[in-house]
Amino acid sequence: MIPVVAMRLLAAAGLAAILGWGCASDTPRDKTRLAVGMRFEYPTPNELLAPATLSYSAISNQFFLPLMAERPDFRDGPPTWAPGLATDWEFSEDRLQLTVRLRQDALWSDGEPVTAEDVRFSWLAQTDPEIPWSYSLYKESITDVEVVEAGTVRFHFHAALPSALADVSTGLILPKHAWEQRPFAEWRGDPSWFFENLVTSGPFLLENRTPGQELVLGRNPDYFEDGLPRLERVVLRTASDGAALTNLLLAGEVDVATGLGATDAQRIANQPGLRLIAYSNRQFTFVSWNTRRPWFQDAETRRALAMAIDRQAMVDTIWHGFAEVGNSPIISSVWAHDAGLEPWPHDPPAAREALAAAGWTDGDGDGTLERDGVPFRFELATFAGAAARWDAMQMIQADLRAVGIDAQPRRVEPGALIQRMREKDFDAAASAFAIDTSLDLRYAFHSRSIPGGDNYAAYDNPEVDRLLDSFATRLDPSAGLEDLHRLQRSLHDDQPILVLWEPLTLAAFNEELESVEPNALSPLANLQEWAWR
Amino acid sequence: MIRFVLRRLLAAAILFLIVLTLAFAVVALAPGDPMAPADPRIPPEQAERLRALYGLDQPLPVQYLRWLGAVILRWDWGQSYRTGQPVAELLFDALPPTLLLAGAALLAQYALGIGLGLIAGFRPNSRLDLSVRVASLVVYALPTFWVGLMAVLVLAVGLGLAPAGGMTSAAAFELGPVAAALDVLAHLWLPALVLGMSMAGDIARYTRSSLIEFQATEAGRAARARGLSETRILLVHGLAHAAPRLLQLASVSAPLLLSGAVVAEVVFAWPGLGTATLVAIQSRDIPVVLAATTYGAALVIAASLAADLLLTRLDPRIRVE
Repeated sequence: MIPVVAMRLLAAAGLAAILGWGCASDTPRDKTRLAVGMRFEYPTPNELLAPATLSYSAISNQFFLPLMAERPDFRDGPPTWAPGLATDWEFSEDRLQLTVRLRQDALWSDGEPVTAEDVRFSWLAQTDPEIPWSYSLYKESITDVEVVEAGTVRFHFHAALPSALADVSTGLILPKHAWEQRPFAEWRGDPSWFFENLVTSGPFLLENRTPGQELVLGRNPDYFEDGLPRLERVVLRTASDGAALTNLLLAGEVDVATGLGATDAQRIANQPGLRLIAYSNRQFTFVSWNTRRPWFQDAETRRALAMAIDRQAMVDTIWHGFAEVGNSPIISSVWAHDAGLEPWPHDPPAAREALAAAGWTDGDGDGTLERDGVPFRFELATFAGAAARWDAMQMIQADLRAVGIDAQPRRVEPGALIQRMREKDFDAAASAFAIDTSLDLRYAFHSRSIPGGDNYAAYDNPEVDRLLDSFATRLDPSAGLEDLHRLQRSLHDDQPILVLWEPLTLAAFNEELESVEPNALSPLANLQEWAWR
Repeated sequence: MIRFVLRRLLAAAILFLIVLTLAFAVVALAPGDPMAPADPRIPPEQAERLRALYGLDQPLPVQYLRWLGAVILRWDWGQSYRTGQPVAELLFDALPPTLLLAGAALLAQYALGIGLGLIAGFRPNSRLDLSVRVASLVVYALPTFWVGLMAVLVLAVGLGLAPAGGMTSAAAFELGPVAAALDVLAHLWLPALVLGMSMAGDIARYTRSSLIEFQATEAGRAARARGLSETRILLVHGLAHAAPRLLQLASVSAPLLLSGAVVAEVVFAWPGLGTATLVAIQSRDIPVVLAATTYGAALVIAASLAADLLLTRLDPRIRVE
């Protein structure tokens, strides 16, 4: 009898221990550490092997630094650059060379100094075709990286280009002494090798990694900025689902959640102790009208479509207000945005009139407009899995139905749809672009980008081509502001694409955290300065 | 018996090969290019280099034979397109959490199901029996996704009785072995219970009907005639009578548990095969999708085989020929 009682007591104690362990406790917060929830798993500290996403680079930037970093001041003017591993830099008179001096106090976490050899090694890796890095195109302007001395490096360019500083600063400086032992051809074979051979020059180093679960960053004691980072440890936890991530935040199991959806943000918005931050991410979602199709050949019809579609309703219902109606591919948070442009209003009667003026009438009385015997009926495609866009497709269908147009929404696998859009084998399709601060939009609107390229609408306007070419070669982008305004007005009038919305990136933070300043370049932009109050 | 086992193993191997081939065919024939860069600024030549690197520039039959050969001869599933990590390594990390969750859910399912079945079987057609049957049906009808979300919201976020997600607490690598085990168990019980509940209703109904059936058999009447207590009759002899059928149910449960685990893992941020598969599908990471599909199929085949073999041991009415 006694063993049975003992076993029951033991079982009860075990159950109490498990439940007790899992219960939320009131123990005081450990103010040296922070838990951040993210919706992805960090694949490798070698950014040349990772998919090109801001989320991954937000973490890579904690381990490694660029020579100089773009400041998040793109709202005020063309990009400016803050020193990273470089202290200062200087162009030659012909702007074909850039001499960069490195910090003398920058060390790798194993005590080795960061030198010009690391800079040249990084450039060799970034341009090696056997790796191949997604953004190697940013290095095409650089013909050589010369080691002048340990603390000085010189970049040589094939031409004087406005993008020179952006090209140099794109990509992080990698540790030559630690990674050169592995030939470039073998880098893709095993990206986790770089976890095992990680030395860092950034504010953090890697303390521990549990695949699928978390990455633990520890303070780098050799980091050159005195007193930074302010946190001893940052735990990056993975939850691939937005609702699951929100639950972790609400339960206090993470202190920060990034990459939230609008519905998740609504749950968090009024929670005590949490602060929701919504900020521009330099993206815009749009519908491309294939101008090779009979329905979209004339600008008058495309303008009528813009007036028939209620974009504000999309922002209100799909995004719960966490987005803005867009009206230009140079989005409203960028310095060159033409604030004088008014979005086409949602005005169905005006849309009907414009359609009639363009020759679209319902001659057979079936409720659908026709012109030259062609009914206004087309396929409106978007990427499978893009939930917000799919919802928008339903709303567009209803709006267009009201003016006599039959749009048929369809979800297509993303790779297949991109291929079809590049081959101009589609009617209309919704997709999204993220712009960089070079504002070089030739890939999206220049007639050279029609065959097989990302000018999906097959938009061909010689004036727009001229403006795009003119701006792309200006050494001083701010002098090209008038060109950019004219470009936006042309696109606004011609409507080859209808910009639906500019989404905001949503992140939530514990209110007791201070100095948190996420921006379009990184949700963890100044992580080394974050601290608990 | 050995011939029977060998025959079943051979059938399982052929089935596995068919699954491999079908999985490859479905994924390969799906439209789209997994290497198509999402960022239009990335030139198409980059995608071509990656395609060549992963052998996607070869004709489909060549790709298939190379892939099949690597899988069968070296258990090499290739590299993840998303992370570059060897797929076998990636799934090796993801499999134990899924097996732990599915195993715990199986335990929860049988503990709940048999318990409820016994309660109902003791007094057939009583109010208690009716309540158990209705409750079983309701729980069976509720989607795991919804039950999971509600459980997290009420028990974890609302009442703080369990962690809201994950398999461990943050920075659990610092804990000692006992504390680490307790930490995992604290994270495990709620997802396991939610996943187990979905099938517990079935077990309860089978247990109940087996117990009622047993009482009408000669063995049941004989046990009563020998003066055994009702409790002993049902708990010992009744359950022994129900065991083969319940075991058969385990092989049916395996695929349901695995598909349920995908859902539960997402809701509870559990880092297993389901989460890995979902992320792979979303990012069109074909090698991982293929391997995860095949792992899932292999687990189901293995569970079915194990249940069949156990059944031949447990049920004297089944003869191996």
